[in-house]
Amino acid sequence: MKMKKKSVSEWVKSGDPWVWLNAGAVAISVIMVLGLLLLIAVRGLGHFWPADVVESHYALPGESEYNIVAERVESLEVPAAQLREAGIDIPDNHQLMQRTLMKTGNRDVYGSDFRWVIDEYITNTQRPDMLFTAERREWGNLYGYLKAVKEDGQITSQTTDLTPTDSALATWAVFEASIERAAGIYDQIHDIEKGDIGKINYALERIRLKQRRLELEDKLTPAAEADLAVERSQYDEEYKGLQQSLIDLYQAFNRDTFVVQVMDGSEHEMPVAKIVHAYRANAMNVGQKMSFYFTKLWEFLSDEPREANTEGGVFPAIFGTVMMVLLMTVLVTPFGVVAAVYLREYASQGWVTRIIRIAVNNLAGVPSIVYGVFGLGFFIYFLGSGIDQAFFPEALPSPTFGTGGLMWASITLALLTVPVVIVATEEGLSRIPRNVREGSLALGATKAETLWRVVLPMASPAIMTGVILAVARAAGEVAPLMLVGVVKLAPSLPLDGNYPFIHLDQKFMHLGFHIYDVGFQSPNVEAARPLVYATAFLLVLVIALLNLSAVTIRNHLREKYKSLEM
Amino acid sequence: MSDAKTHSIDISAMQRSQQALRIEDEKVCLSVNDLHLYYGDKEALKGVNMVIPEKKVTAFIGPSGCGKSTLLRCFNRMNDLVDGCRITGEINLRDENIYAKGTDVAELRRRVGMVFQKPNPFPKSIYENVAYGLRIQGINKKRLLDETVEWALRSAALWDEVKDRLHESALGMSGGQQQRLVIARTVAVKPEVLLLDEPASALDPISTLKIEELIHELKNEFTIAIVTHNMQQAARVSDYTAFMYMGDLVEFGDTNSLFTNPSKQQTEDYITGRYG
Repeated sequence: MKMKKKSVSEWVKSGDPWVWLNAGAVAISVIMVLGLLLLIAVRGLGHFWPADVVESHYALPGESEYNIVAERVESLEVPAAQLREAGIDIPDNHQLMQRTLMKTGNRDVYGSDFRWVIDEYITNTQRPDMLFTAERREWGNLYGYLKAVKEDGQITSQTTDLTPTDSALATWAVFEASIERAAGIYDQIHDIEKGDIGKINYALERIRLKQRRLELEDKLTPAAEADLAVERSQYDEEYKGLQQSLIDLYQAFNRDTFVVQVMDGSEHEMPVAKIVHAYRANAMNVGQKMSFYFTKLWEFLSDEPREANTEGGVFPAIFGTVMMVLLMTVLVTPFGVVAAVYLREYASQGWVTRIIRIAVNNLAGVPSIVYGVFGLGFFIYFLGSGIDQAFFPEALPSPTFGTGGLMWASITLALLTVPVVIVATEEGLSRIPRNVREGSLALGATKAETLWRVVLPMASPAIMTGVILAVARAAGEVAPLMLVGVVKLAPSLPLDGNYPFIHLDQKFMHLGFHIYDVGFQSPNVEAARPLVYATAFLLVLVIALLNLSAVTIRNHLREKYKSLEM
Repeated sequence: MSDAKTHSIDISAMQRSQQALRIEDEKVCLSVNDLHLYYGDKEALKGVNMVIPEKKVTAFIGPSGCGKSTLLRCFNRMNDLVDGCRITGEINLRDENIYAKGTDVAELRRRVGMVFQKPNPFPKSIYENVAYGLRIQGINKKRLLDETVEWALRSAALWDEVKDRLHESALGMSGGQQQRLVIARTVAVKPEVLLLDEPASALDPISTLKIEELIHELKNEFTIAIVTHNMQQAARVSDYTAFMYMGDLVEFGDTNSLFTNPSKQQTEDYITGRYG
């Protein structure tokens, strides 16, 4: 007994317990982070896999049997008592029941996308090859059997078979060709509406503003007015031409329709134009599914959102996030560095400096929403409306900078992250060896020259560390953005082909806010949930990429100025 | 000092090379008049009076903390950078008080260059290190820079070793090379005075020897003041030697007589190793 006690105390003395404790803490942290990433990756990325569609018979005890066609979403056990309370007649010998969430789609027909079924009462489950899934531009997914395709109301191909017979496959081929045609026309329409007409609208708005400005300055002579009218009529003419071609395109777009038989056996006719993709998941092999998966993933990254953000892609949000972070970096770096240089190099190190330093450190701890409120109150309402009155009086009463926008959001976040850059830069400056500074001064360099040519380059890795921390914090911040310029859906990107190309006054979309919006503000929460995970994963990825590029730059600088470790 | 053991004092050689030098015959480059220096309340220099002769090597010796480095750093006003440092008295560089109001300190430091104890090359290429002082002066003509860099590196006996890697980082050089690079960098701006603050104390014996040979070469063109802990080194390289103790200049005279026939008891005790 005594021996044992001694060996324990010796073990404690040897320091091993500390090593184990530390290693354990590290292991737990790593496992938690990896687990988190894995969870959101699996949940999010699984969404794009073309799931099999099952057809089953379903009959609750005492009710009549009906057909159900759906994708399985998730399955969980529930106490039978809970189901009994919900009015389902469950026999007494059951304690737990397996319940499955089925995505039946066809919201236009049934009113909701999802329904819960109890596994016990499902019979005769099949995966018919001809069952197809169609993603639509509205009303969510459609599941059913293709019966016919029509052109201008005339049937071009039809089938009565629900199995892959020649006639069914031929109709399917016609259907696919029709979808492809519609997609081509859709792209053209989109180009004209967003591109050409957008440009004309922008130009017309500028003419209106110009006229209003001349009016305000009392310089609106009849000659100038006539000039503007001529200009305007040119655009109007152009617009009319485009409108005519749009009408033609829309006519062609809406030419085809198809007839689908849904799960209760009823048949519905719908326009082909409404369909984005149609595929028969049950008939696809793994290779086809993979290629479809990557198409969908790419669509998610590169497309605009549809259906109140619950479908389609998140490209505008990615773009907005990256642009806002880059703008923030451009603003925060010089400002933070200059402030740190003054504090460390020029200010006399008395109590005032110490208080300022403490204040700066505390600023980093102020809740971000407070910065949002400040941004709204000071930047937008005070500075913004001042700018509007001074520079954009012609646009009033609609605000230009007097409302949330990309610039104010970037500045607010720059303010939020500037303490981090100041602290990191000061740290870096204090680590530059005194003898290197003296070497430069002894050659006749002034303090400013020494700072600019020797000290700052050597401190640049530390500055980059500050920037990395700032980027990491800013990219994940949502709360203040909701007050200073982020919107659920921005009609256009803040960077486009219209002069002055970067529209700092425009509102923008942000991945973080997109997650909040899709997850909590969407009318169809179940359908949006996978997108929440996918977007969250994407946000992590974007931040990781931004950080990685900054880290690469820092490592490059470290290599260049490695004398610090001398 | 490792190099102390490898080189014994060669008094006879010294006597051969140095005919009797007299400070009164020398042209004065720097003169120090009643210089007091305080770090806060502590008086680090207690009224120093001396002259640094033109185009000769003047060595400062003395135990640690005696104020020899402090005095050296007064010559290019490096002490201005130390918080709480206060100076009375004057130092004249060719009859101009460098502590007078309105002195351009940057210009002074260009005229009075300094090499520090620890090699401190900038994290730039060898070429850019040497060209640094010139670029500060706004010289950016490539031909002029090339010429001066080569001349400075040759003066520092470094050209042959680095001519093929001028654009590589200076941080990849050995300690001795780095110190000679720093000397080349200082020489490149063509100062009138070269202050060396224990330039060889961080180096191995071979590098030390090279630096000492370099000092011999450089004294043809520059006035040199050197601080050293190593009396043998002082004896080898210098024409005049100042012995300092506790902030006082105890004895100043030509190296030969100071080492062979010191006039003060304190000096004799120090150079014979009785204390310090």
